[in-house]
Amino acid sequence: MDSFILRYRNLLVLLALLLAQIIGLAVQVRRTDSGRNTPDPGDMSGVRLIRLWADAVVTPPEQLSHAAKLGAKGLWQNYLDLRSIREQNQALQKTIDRLRLEQASLLEDAKQGERLQALMDFQQKYIYKTLAAQAIGSSGSDSSRVFYIDKGSTEGLDRDMAVITADGIVGKVREVFPHSAQVLAINDETSGAGVILETTRIRGILRGNASGQLQIVGLLADQRIQRGETVLTAGGDLIFPRGLPVGVVEKVVPDPDRDSFIDVIVKPAAHLDRLDEVLVITSTEPRFSAEQQQDMATSETLKGAEADAIKQQQKASQIMAERLPGLTDPNAPAANPAAPGQTAQPGETPAAPAAAPVPKLLPARHPDRFTPGATPSIGEENPTPAGPENKLESKPDKPTQPPSGQPGRNP
Amino acid sequence: MSVLGADYRRDLGIHSYPVLVYALTPLAALVLQALLPRYLRGYAWFDLPLVVTVYFALVRRDPIQGMLMGGSLGIFEDALTGRAIGVNGIAKTVAGFLSGSVGVRIDVENHTIRLMLTFLLSLLCSAIYVFIYRILLGLELEWSWLAELMKAVGNSVIAMALFPLLDRTQIKE
Repeated sequence: MDSFILRYRNLLVLLALLLAQIIGLAVQVRRTDSGRNTPDPGDMSGVRLIRLWADAVVTPPEQLSHAAKLGAKGLWQNYLDLRSIREQNQALQKTIDRLRLEQASLLEDAKQGERLQALMDFQQKYIYKTLAAQAIGSSGSDSSRVFYIDKGSTEGLDRDMAVITADGIVGKVREVFPHSAQVLAINDETSGAGVILETTRIRGILRGNASGQLQIVGLLADQRIQRGETVLTAGGDLIFPRGLPVGVVEKVVPDPDRDSFIDVIVKPAAHLDRLDEVLVITSTEPRFSAEQQQDMATSETLKGAEADAIKQQQKASQIMAERLPGLTDPNAPAANPAAPGQTAQPGETPAAPAAAPVPKLLPARHPDRFTPGATPSIGEENPTPAGPENKLESKPDKPTQPPSGQPGRNP
Repeated sequence: MSVLGADYRRDLGIHSYPVLVYALTPLAALVLQALLPRYLRGYAWFDLPLVVTVYFALVRRDPIQGMLMGGSLGIFEDALTGRAIGVNGIAKTVAGFLSGSVGVRIDVENHTIRLMLTFLLSLLCSAIYVFIYRILLGLELEWSWLAELMKAVGNSVIAMALFPLLDRTQIKE
């Protein structure tokens, strides 16, 4: 028996296993009334233990796999995102750089626009004809304060034309080329301009010194010159029209070469170290707007009417003077009017100016005590030596005044 | 195919493996069989528990071990399907028995023999499955011999890659 089992051990085990499983299958499947076989649902309230074991075996690795998959997916997506973000970052950085450049360019344009606007406003309001120009270059040397502008003789520029900005004077045109010009700045040592201090009305000559500062040289020491006083062009140099701002007094220093003289250091009104746009005064003929011209015409009309009125008044007073009773002696000799242009001879006293015409006093028909000449003179009542104050009669041109000045009180 | 005597074949060598390989390989086969069809959709043409059963039954040259491993893996597969438990168990018990029985008689070190055996046993398992399901249990089952043929090919391809890997885990005596 043992040898049989041992010999057919494998087959017996196979049969046993197959039988057990077939029985198990038979338990699970039942035949319905319709003759069809279906899996037995069994007790649906629970789970077969074998399924629970299988689930317990398979589910944890599946969850682990799922978590690993999600992790790997997330990691991959993060990596891809990171790569794309890096690329985006680089692209954005480039965009930022480009926008910064554009912003700087726009800012520069805006600033230039503001400056040009201010310059245009000034140019329109300024009385003289000007030409806007752009500073395009410099001398390239610190010792020579000249710069170049983009307008030249073709545009009507000429030597010694004043160059200004809306803030103040800048310099003068020194050399003119067809399409450019060289401008000598006012802070150059070789430049000069006549200036006047606005408050004290002290005049001087403005020059540049070696360090590029503006200074008014050759002034007598004057305590009235104070820091902050405005300096204007005096207009006497035939380059700069008068009244243009030059700067303000920065400090007053004694003249190192001459005692009792001072030098006035001036802070320029125009930004001489960063000039971009300038105006060149091309003509000093006053340029008036239509409104100004109308105002001037109105003013002239008013002045003419006023002069006519004065003339009429004078004529009327002359007529009245002729018609009123004369206050002067018609028999008196006429004054000796000096001929116009006639000069006094040396040693002679100059001739008295001609007496103003006064009404002539006509003789009264019925003289009374108020009649001029009826009242005895002081000399007749109280004879006194003749003095200069008693020479009324010798002055027939003047009307005779009543002695008391208040005739009503004299009986 | 060289047929050897029984004693000679036993003396030829019964390979042994670490316990972890015995435990984890069938478990991994079960997990992957449950997991991979989710991603391969209709192209899951393989039966990893069968491949593992065939391998261990062959190399161990023990039909009882093959039957026990095949039966256990088949029952677990059935437990995961929600259908009647035991159909796959019976099929893989038979496959394990045949593999172990063949391993005693032929040279299982030959890869071609292994692949042919895997291919044939895959078809046999499919046939047993269909027989039990349709004939024995009388249940309805959608069936395609082409799909079963593809499954057999798939198992052979997997065996071609898996068997050398598992051979490397053998304990050298």
